[in-house]
Amino acid sequence: MKLHLLNEPADAEPNFSVSPEPVLHIQDLTVSFNLPRGRAKILEGVSFDLFKGEILALVGETGSGKSVTAKSLLNLFPRLSMETRGKVNFDGKDLLTLSNKALQAVRGNHISMIFQNPQSSINPLFTLGEQISRLIKMYLPEQIAAIRQKNNCRQKQAIQAIAKEKLNEVGLTDIARLCNLYANEVSGGMAQRYRIALALLSKPQILIADEATSALDVTVQAHILKLLKDLCKKRNTAILFITHDLGIAAQVCDRVAVMYAGRIVEVGPTKEIFKTPLHPYTRGLLKAVPHPGKTEQLAFVPGMIPDLVNPPEGCRFHPRCGHVRSICTQEKPERIRVEENHEVSCFLYAVSNEFKGE
Amino acid sequence: MRFPAFYMQSQMNLKENDQRMKDPLVKLAQINTWFPHEKNILGKVHSWIKAVDDVSLDIFKGESLGLVGESGCGKSTLGRTILRLAPLYSGEILFMGNEIGNLNNAGLKKYRARMQMVFQDPKASLNPKMTILKILGEALNLNAKIQKKEYLEQAVTLLDLVDLRPEHIFRYPHEFSGGQQQRISIARALATNPDFIVFDEATSALDVSVQAQIINLMGGLQKKLNLTYLFISHDLSIMEHACDRVAVMYAGQIVEVQDAASLFNTPRHPYTKALKDAVPVADPELKHELGILKGEVPKLSSPPLGCRFHPRCDYQEDICQKKNPGVSKTGRHNWVRCHFAERLWDQGVLINNKELL
Repeated sequence: MKLHLLNEPADAEPNFSVSPEPVLHIQDLTVSFNLPRGRAKILEGVSFDLFKGEILALVGETGSGKSVTAKSLLNLFPRLSMETRGKVNFDGKDLLTLSNKALQAVRGNHISMIFQNPQSSINPLFTLGEQISRLIKMYLPEQIAAIRQKNNCRQKQAIQAIAKEKLNEVGLTDIARLCNLYANEVSGGMAQRYRIALALLSKPQILIADEATSALDVTVQAHILKLLKDLCKKRNTAILFITHDLGIAAQVCDRVAVMYAGRIVEVGPTKEIFKTPLHPYTRGLLKAVPHPGKTEQLAFVPGMIPDLVNPPEGCRFHPRCGHVRSICTQEKPERIRVEENHEVSCFLYAVSNEFKGE
Repeated sequence: MRFPAFYMQSQMNLKENDQRMKDPLVKLAQINTWFPHEKNILGKVHSWIKAVDDVSLDIFKGESLGLVGESGCGKSTLGRTILRLAPLYSGEILFMGNEIGNLNNAGLKKYRARMQMVFQDPKASLNPKMTILKILGEALNLNAKIQKKEYLEQAVTLLDLVDLRPEHIFRYPHEFSGGQQQRISIARALATNPDFIVFDEATSALDVSVQAQIINLMGGLQKKLNLTYLFISHDLSIMEHACDRVAVMYAGQIVEVQDAASLFNTPRHPYTKALKDAVPVADPELKHELGILKGEVPKLSSPPLGCRFHPRCDYQEDICQKKNPGVSKTGRHNWVRCHFAERLWDQGVLINNKELL
């Protein structure tokens, strides 16, 4: 059986210590929604950097705010019902202050997104061919003109040629037949490949994959993961990979950010996070993952995710934490740099005076 | 009654076997679940979707059998067929020695309470207009008409079994988290005092931490109440934690039955191996290579001739295209459906890959 290596050799991994060049810088992103029973503080002070050409995993339980983070970057929520604060620096601009029109130029062009259910994120009323040609017309007018000049052909034929090239790139074959199909007529794996082709048409700097493989079978998922990883390395595209599957984070991503109840509790290189997890939540989460080849009972984090309308005071994890101290119930833990690139928000690692006294 | 050869053989060895594996609670003999696909002008069906095709399987008392496969391979249909929720085309289903394959709805009524099912999406399987007391009470009433006082008591006992508190009983399903809702579904399944429970992707919609809780709960209940489980899932990595034996299904047929403890390290069928290789392991140090399985799942209306896996298999030879392989025994109750079962096993090909050897 031909096995394809997902793990690139070590020297191909991005070296952050030389020239860390964040393509996206998020600082203190705070999002709250107005609900009938009060204000839900969905995100509180989320900060992280996304570097050029890296794959960053954003992991956490359901309701920890992973998707909200991604969607609020591009302002995909109705503005009336929510309040957003903080900074999202991309290309010298703060995305949160841009008007909808200015933001529309960024969406798809520079930052594109793929979603969990591929079939439902493709318009069911138009064939796959119609949809991709519309986007090619929108994003690649120069390329169309170049092909028309070179081959002296009609616009339609030029678009077809580009579509074929782009779809071949994501591993789709028999393009002529595929372009006449509708979203419901293709399998989940094919639909997700097609979505990736659309998302990468404009050569974006950032691709946000929101649970992009969660709805797929493991065998299909392996295909899609390999494709994303290859394309990312080839084009130097940064991927923000939102997932609840720690296996994907371990095998595909360069760095991992762990989210809990609207805060990032730990960020670090994948190897370190899995080898020496620092935050008690990360440790609990890793113990709950079923490991093939091991049969002992699974451990779990007791309790459940807090109600975000009335989140716990201090550290939001303290009601479930085994190492809770009195300071955890009163103050919010700061982000502490434990090692280079490895940061954690927990009082266990704080060298403050109050903590030393206990 | 016609049983396949491997089955007869296992019957002969029975006396030497341990007590637990002695009597199958559920015995499937060559069952087929076919759905009509195309009809001709006179309304006669000339092509079928063979969701379950010639499946023979024993589920022993007190064990938990995993059923794993890709989506669309017929694993849920098999689970529903055993409970007679999907139409049985042909074959025999024996439940505790009684034939239930040919019973009508009225005849099935007395077996329904003894076989229960827990579904994937707990939110959708609990009635949003009923309190937990009503949901459990409805199931309790199936068994016997009981007094209102008694059923409050029994409902609280059930909640206690699944680690929920008594005060939860007057709440509605939407007031609970996903994990708690799944606990309520399990409590409802336990209400009729069943012997056999089918878990249809019961933990797939849950987070890892919650999934771990539910799997541990299931294991505890199994020991406490001497239950038998059929655990349907697409996730191979939880099988070892949740099951004793695992059946691997591909395109309507079971291709391998193997002990859960050895499945991951020594898969005998190329498909099991491929499935195993595709699981991302949560350990970056392991340098686990994600194996890529070529091709797509075949359509069940027109599965490939011969071995169904041959178009995607790397070990295929001429015979695979012509003849569907029979069953080769690999253990007391374990078998594999592959022409080269022994050879591949002897070579150890399934442990390493062809190019490496």
